[in-house]
Amino acid sequence: MARRKKIEPPEEEEMTSNISSMIDCCFLLLIYFLVATSLVSEKKLDISIPASSTSSSSQKPKIDPGNIYVKSNGVVTWNQDLTVAQAYDPSLEPGTPAYLEQRRMDSLVESLKLLKEQADAVETAPVVMLHGAGKAPHQRIVDVMAALAEADIHSVGLSTTADE
Amino acid sequence: MAKKNARSQEEVKSEMDMSPMIDCCFLLLMFFIVNAAQITVSKDPSVNMPNAVSASEMKDANGCIVVNVFADPDVMGAKSGKALEKYNQTYPSGTIWGVADGSGASIGYTKSQSQELTDFINKQREAMEGKGIKPEMIRLYLRGDADAPWERSSGAIRAAAAAKVTNIVFGTLPAK
Repeated sequence: MARRKKIEPPEEEEMTSNISSMIDCCFLLLIYFLVATSLVSEKKLDISIPASSTSSSSQKPKIDPGNIYVKSNGVVTWNQDLTVAQAYDPSLEPGTPAYLEQRRMDSLVESLKLLKEQADAVETAPVVMLHGAGKAPHQRIVDVMAALAEADIHSVGLSTTADE
Repeated sequence: MAKKNARSQEEVKSEMDMSPMIDCCFLLLMFFIVNAAQITVSKDPSVNMPNAVSASEMKDANGCIVVNVFADPDVMGAKSGKALEKYNQTYPSGTIWGVADGSGASIGYTKSQSQELTDFINKQREAMEGKGIKPEMIRLYLRGDADAPWERSSGAIRAAAAAKVTNIVFGTLPAK
């Protein structure tokens, strides 16, 4: 009789999946999105324009509206008599002191704050109209919007005037 | 005594349970993916953003209808050749307003297509209202080029007003 060979069952191997590379990928993606979301430094300036239903009101406003004029060369005037910003220079490099100086409109902010105080005194909302020349640079309009935001005025009427 | 020693010599396999950490990691990942997608939606490299000294943080882009306003191609080219190249590749000649549709494809509108822009904003507004976004939360996000003429920006605002969107958000970068 042939000798019977005893067949041993194969050793049970523990089946494990190596998840370390997946965790690595996951962390990399996580760090990427963490950085990407913090890099998005976009800011916003909110305004609301008067709807047609409210602008048709025949009631006379309690205080005189403030008018801001932006000319095509970027000169900004308050009520057509006070120049609050000189001509826009597009060649200035962002971040330089001259560029920052061009962005600031302190006298306009002061005038707008005064208008807001007057409006608050008679318990009404300040009325501001922004008249921009068609060729006026968008940056100048944003400068004016920033001044409005600084004075806490968020409702403004917009109009486009003929180029000067 | 001998038995005890033998037991202590046995290697004790210690394993850390990684699954809660992976769960947390995935949750954070999804959160940041969603946030990044919301904020950077329709960001157009052809727009040289204006700077503002006082502007608030852009926390929530939900309800924003993004309209890019472009400068003249020669002005754009003088500032950045790459921006002009991208603009020429993406939009037909004469495009002054650019938007992204639901699939992320870019659509350009010329000066004579303000009615088409109004229709687009109207459709977006209706779709947002359909999703349950409150009408006062629906805003025109105006991403205008710093050197774009005001008539282009005001044209986009007029188109939005015609589509019953009267809340305007001016996209800016901080002036450092």
